[in-house]
Amino acid sequence: MIVMNQNSKPSPAEGGVLEAPKRTLFQENWNLFRKNRLAMAGLVIFVIFFIIAVGGFFLTYGRSPVFDPALVRLQEKLRPPLSKPNLETLKPEELPRLGIYLFGTDDLGRDIFSRMLQGAWVSLTVGFIAVGIAVVIGVFLGGIAGYYGSSQIPLGHLLACLLLGGGVIAIVAGRTAMGISLILFGGATAALLIRVGYAEGKRPIPKALSVLFFNLFSVDVLITGLIDIMLCFPVFFLILTVVALIPSKIHYIMIVIGLTSWMGSARFIRAEFLSLREQDFVTAAKALGVSDWRIIFRHMVPNAMSPVLVSATIGIASAILIEAGLSFLGFGDASYATWGNILSSGKDFLFDAPWLTFVPGFAVLIVVLAFNLFGEGLRDVLNPKLKERH
Amino acid sequence: MRWTLIAVPTLLIVFLLQSYLWVPSYEEQGENPERLNEFIEGSIGDAQILNPVLSADSASSGIESKVFEGLIDRDEDLRFRGRLATHWEIFEEAYFYVNNDAWIPTLGRGDAEGVIRFLRKAMETRKRRDDRVSRSLANIEKIEALPGRTFEVSKQEKGAGGESVAITIRVSAPPRIRMVLKEVDQELFDHLSELLGRDYFSSFDGARFIEVHPKGFSSNREAYGKELLPATAHNPVIVFHLRPNVKFHDGHIFDAYDVKFTYEAIMNRRNLSPRIADYEPVKAVEVLDPLTVRVVYKRLYSPALGTWGMGILPVHLLNSKALRQEAMHRGLDPDKFTLRQSQFNRRPLGCGPFRFREWKSDQYIVLDRFDDYWEGPPNYKRYTFRIVPDLLTQEMEFYAGTVDGYGVQPHQVERLSKDPAYQSFSGLSFGYTYIGYNMRREPFKDRRVRKALGMAIDVDKIITYVLYGQGEKITGPFLKQTDFYNHAIAPLPYDPEGALRLLAIAGWKKGPKGWLQKNGKRLQFTLITNQGNNLRKAILSIAQDSWRKIGIDVRTDVLEWAVFIQERVNKLDFDALILGWSMGIDPDLYQIWHSSQIHPNQLNFVAFRNEEADDLIIKIRQEYDHERQVQYCRRLHEIIAQEQPYTFLYVGKWTAILDKRIVIKEVDPEGKPRYSRIQPTKTGNYTFYFNKWIKLPEVPRFEMEG
Amino acid sequence: MLAFIGRSAIQKIVTLFFVSIISFLIVHLAPGEPSQIDPLNPKFTQEVLERFRKEFHLDKPLHIQYLYYYRDLLTGKSVSWKDNRPVLKKIYERFKNSLWLFILGTLITWTLSFPVGIHAAIRRGGLYDRSTTFLAYLLISIPGFFFAYMLIIFVVTHFHVPVIGMETFGISSTGWYWFMDRMWHLLLPSILGAAGGIAVLSRYVRNQMLEVESQDYVRTAKAKGLSPDKVHYKHALRNALLPFVTMFGLILPGLIGGSVIIESIFSWPGMGRMAYEAILARNYPVILAVNFISAILVLVGTFISDLLYMVVDPRIRL
Repeated sequence: MIVMNQNSKPSPAEGGVLEAPKRTLFQENWNLFRKNRLAMAGLVIFVIFFIIAVGGFFLTYGRSPVFDPALVRLQEKLRPPLSKPNLETLKPEELPRLGIYLFGTDDLGRDIFSRMLQGAWVSLTVGFIAVGIAVVIGVFLGGIAGYYGSSQIPLGHLLACLLLGGGVIAIVAGRTAMGISLILFGGATAALLIRVGYAEGKRPIPKALSVLFFNLFSVDVLITGLIDIMLCFPVFFLILTVVALIPSKIHYIMIVIGLTSWMGSARFIRAEFLSLREQDFVTAAKALGVSDWRIIFRHMVPNAMSPVLVSATIGIASAILIEAGLSFLGFGDASYATWGNILSSGKDFLFDAPWLTFVPGFAVLIVVLAFNLFGEGLRDVLNPKLKERH
Repeated sequence: MRWTLIAVPTLLIVFLLQSYLWVPSYEEQGENPERLNEFIEGSIGDAQILNPVLSADSASSGIESKVFEGLIDRDEDLRFRGRLATHWEIFEEAYFYVNNDAWIPTLGRGDAEGVIRFLRKAMETRKRRDDRVSRSLANIEKIEALPGRTFEVSKQEKGAGGESVAITIRVSAPPRIRMVLKEVDQELFDHLSELLGRDYFSSFDGARFIEVHPKGFSSNREAYGKELLPATAHNPVIVFHLRPNVKFHDGHIFDAYDVKFTYEAIMNRRNLSPRIADYEPVKAVEVLDPLTVRVVYKRLYSPALGTWGMGILPVHLLNSKALRQEAMHRGLDPDKFTLRQSQFNRRPLGCGPFRFREWKSDQYIVLDRFDDYWEGPPNYKRYTFRIVPDLLTQEMEFYAGTVDGYGVQPHQVERLSKDPAYQSFSGLSFGYTYIGYNMRREPFKDRRVRKALGMAIDVDKIITYVLYGQGEKITGPFLKQTDFYNHAIAPLPYDPEGALRLLAIAGWKKGPKGWLQKNGKRLQFTLITNQGNNLRKAILSIAQDSWRKIGIDVRTDVLEWAVFIQERVNKLDFDALILGWSMGIDPDLYQIWHSSQIHPNQLNFVAFRNEEADDLIIKIRQEYDHERQVQYCRRLHEIIAQEQPYTFLYVGKWTAILDKRIVIKEVDPEGKPRYSRIQPTKTGNYTFYFNKWIKLPEVPRFEMEG
Repeated sequence: MLAFIGRSAIQKIVTLFFVSIISFLIVHLAPGEPSQIDPLNPKFTQEVLERFRKEFHLDKPLHIQYLYYYRDLLTGKSVSWKDNRPVLKKIYERFKNSLWLFILGTLITWTLSFPVGIHAAIRRGGLYDRSTTFLAYLLISIPGFFFAYMLIIFVVTHFHVPVIGMETFGISSTGWYWFMDRMWHLLLPSILGAAGGIAVLSRYVRNQMLEVESQDYVRTAKAKGLSPDKVHYKHALRNALLPFVTMFGLILPGLIGGSVIIESIFSWPGMGRMAYEAILARNYPVILAVNFISAILVLVGTFISDLLYMVVDPRIRL
């Protein structure tokens, strides 16, 4: 979704520099993209998947959905695909909506087709939300690092943040008294800083407090440091640790995947910002007195997004795979059908009911492949170097 | 350049692929004599610690049962049989303090001598009679008086400011009477009080004979009196006669000191033994001579005998001197070094049929045959315990011939049992699955609701479709293959209509939206279970489904094991849960069903309370006579089935698959080998004769099949 | 140069410090406690559990636990809670097993990716290029365990040979037989481990080659009338190889990374499975040690790749 929006609305900055009509950039890209047949196939499958997933959501949602993915019919367990239901043992409301078990049933007699429908929606959400979180964090931190990179962080700010953060952690850890006192101290420091800081222009900082304004390191150092720290964790292992320790709800899984995969986009954005900052249109905007936030989000972010977009598309694919891997290890959320957990619970029946493995297995394969091919096509199109040659 | 780039990977791939030619296939393995002499068992998890005193996981205990040997074990019919002990006697020593203040009918007040004379006379006169009291008297073998004595005990107590203060208690105990009984008799004192006066024992006040120093702390005198001078005491005694000339794997001869050491190792607090609770009732383990051990118990505790099936450790390798030496050798602090740190736990040594050879964590544990095994060496030369963490790949390895036995899943058995190359076994397992209701909460306080919930679930359906028939219905908490189980109790019928009627009687009627409600409140609760058990997850959805059908609004939640136990079960924060118990053979139900065990972190988390049941539970754990124990158990079973604190679902069947080439080999007196098919025992244990198994190069044909 | 080394060493140590704090907090703040032994085991009393907590310092405040823990780790005294064995020794044992997979996997990845990628670049847009592109994406899109099962079942049902584990069990083969048996058991897991790597690296090689081929000096070489082989493999390839030199540093973390899924499926006793089992049992010392060591490897890896970058490309001054 994000992808389409960004492409259909070419950024004003580029449009401004080029004298051609605004639509041409998009059209030019689109023409380029169309030539890449694999990527086109990816896009088509992606759109189909998207429609199925949204449809799946409406068809499997609620107390008595059209296709009930959780309906247990034990007497109909492990029926092969396309088999007809046994009319004698089923109540009318238990009959599959299509009249046959399109993809067969699993070990509890649940209809795989309904489960695949629900799973499509869940997999799609896992992918989009996880990547959404990662992109938001990445753009935010990368943007700050790239734009404000050289400003220094005074000791006082750091102190206040550490105290507040420590307080929150202490409360989470169950030491409420210590946490509250830490937060109070942190709040006091912050208030003091704000008071003194606002008065800064008018009168000099008192000597005693000047230590609070001692510059430690730059924002850039802080954020790249944070990125480095995050990169030190093996991603799948980190996700596994967190997911194993917290209750496995699909929301947590999405959030955890998101929180552990923002580093790529942060780096891209930072690098783009470092070069964009020096460009004329930014200087011009600054000279016009446009506010920092407006410059960042209105002018710079749209120009820096293309590598992020590509990595986001591929990120969605890998989020779906990670969810499948977690399900395989038993950390999936059992209250929803996801393609990952249909696949991993089906593998025990590989010899008795191969469709339980093959249907979701190939579905994941096709969708992930589509995302990857689409992302790759996008990369080719958005890469200015490759474009020149056409 | 170009050709190198292509040649290098091609060569690499060709090299890797040709390795296939060197690997033995299923058929080739069958021709290898070495392979036939080895049994390979596949397991999902590794053993944790190979020391019978310290381990608590099933993988470890499987290995330990092959390396170590206990004093006794259970035979084909689950009765005790001697292993390291050839035979044993159980009798009792009973004590009571002479109560000078009590009025004894027809005697008046009596001192020690007087009481003894009185009892002797009663024994004499009632010799011929066959009532309960007389039987108890006839059971007395010896009766004697112990003179009074004084002694001091020091204790720690909390002072006024919360600090701990050392206090001294001076006890001047009155004379005591000691009786030796031929058999354990839990009702002895009840019966004696019919002779000595109803309150002869209960009016004895121990607190009168103690003084507490310093004086300020005497508020607990009553309690100390009860603790230090109990009016009566049962001291059951077991005397084990050990088998002579049994060798440990290093050739050292096993004797009574090893038994004593094993007991001490368990009781040593620093070892953190998980079995400490089993041996807590032991008062003393005494070595009478190198082949006789006497175990005295503090109180009646009938599960005691079963605990001596525990593997015996070699004292000569693990005594404090040996441990100190090991600590020094490894450069560790000898004062902090305990059995738990010793390398022994990674290379154990006992006197079982197999001797330890090698352990590679998460790969395999290899045991070799012990040729000096007292019962004669096993047929297999080697036993390998192999860790294959994935169920499907275990199956693949079984096909490839590199696993002989594995924990096969029910649906696999259905398919494999048809294959002519394999033989399959099944039997009831030692555990059951149930839905437990938190009876502290509405609506589960009402027995009718619990019963209705049970009636709404079609257990047969669960067994047929979820377990593929590999399970049996169960009605109560005892092992189905023992006598303790009451087969007269009929399982709850599957009857949703009846359940609705029962609920209607209890006040739950259908509301406007089809949900059951009472006083405007919906019948609504959350059913939880733990992650990682597919059967339970399946039952969860089935239960939810069947209850919803009759209009109960059930939510479900599947929680990670640690969270499930620590946050929900231990804190008693749940409505209903699906869980299983794995049981020992012994019928002791104290921890799970006694009403004193309903607090957080205890196992009666459903809060089952029933006075008669409490009484029976205590009686069962104090009764040493099998027949009487069986009676108590059957009654208890009845009560529990009536109260329905759990919906007892099923006891699973274990299933096993073996290659048909594995058979029992026995050698007859003339030295000719005789082969027979492996048959499970009556209680369903197919590995009972494991030491006689062997693998043949091809499937044998048994001519005489009955 | 020295200044750079010193500066980045300090930077890395600070990063490592924060990594240690964060991983410690994640592990300790999560709900649930180390289930040393099944808390529902009727044999386990509350008292025994309490003593376990004490033995593992779990009764102390967090910062004290932190100090205790890292003191033990750095002095090599840290022991696994599950079996009381020194953590470092345990890790080393597993490391040896993972190492084989890692080496063979890396070999396959690197030797295969280059010819495939270069070829695709030379035939840009051709059938070969498109089919390898498609194959590469197929390889990274297939869920690992699905692929693994397909392969295993194919091999076992068609060839009747064992593929699981590090060697064929119950056959005490020696010499060449032993070595080849091991190779065979290494084959499938390392191919699976390399699949993703081949896909990514071959794409990268292709793009790198394309980049270089569009440079002026390659055009010049072509214009000079040199044979295409010479142009591609001598002029273009050499320059395209430059960035790959720096990637050697970045494969270092893979040493300890071992894939949990592949190791579980193949019952390969490697690092990944050990870490996974440690997480399940909440065996904190092992989890934290693995995390710590892998962080060190990441940091050392980036450091080496920075250095290599400087050595290879003298224009860069860090």
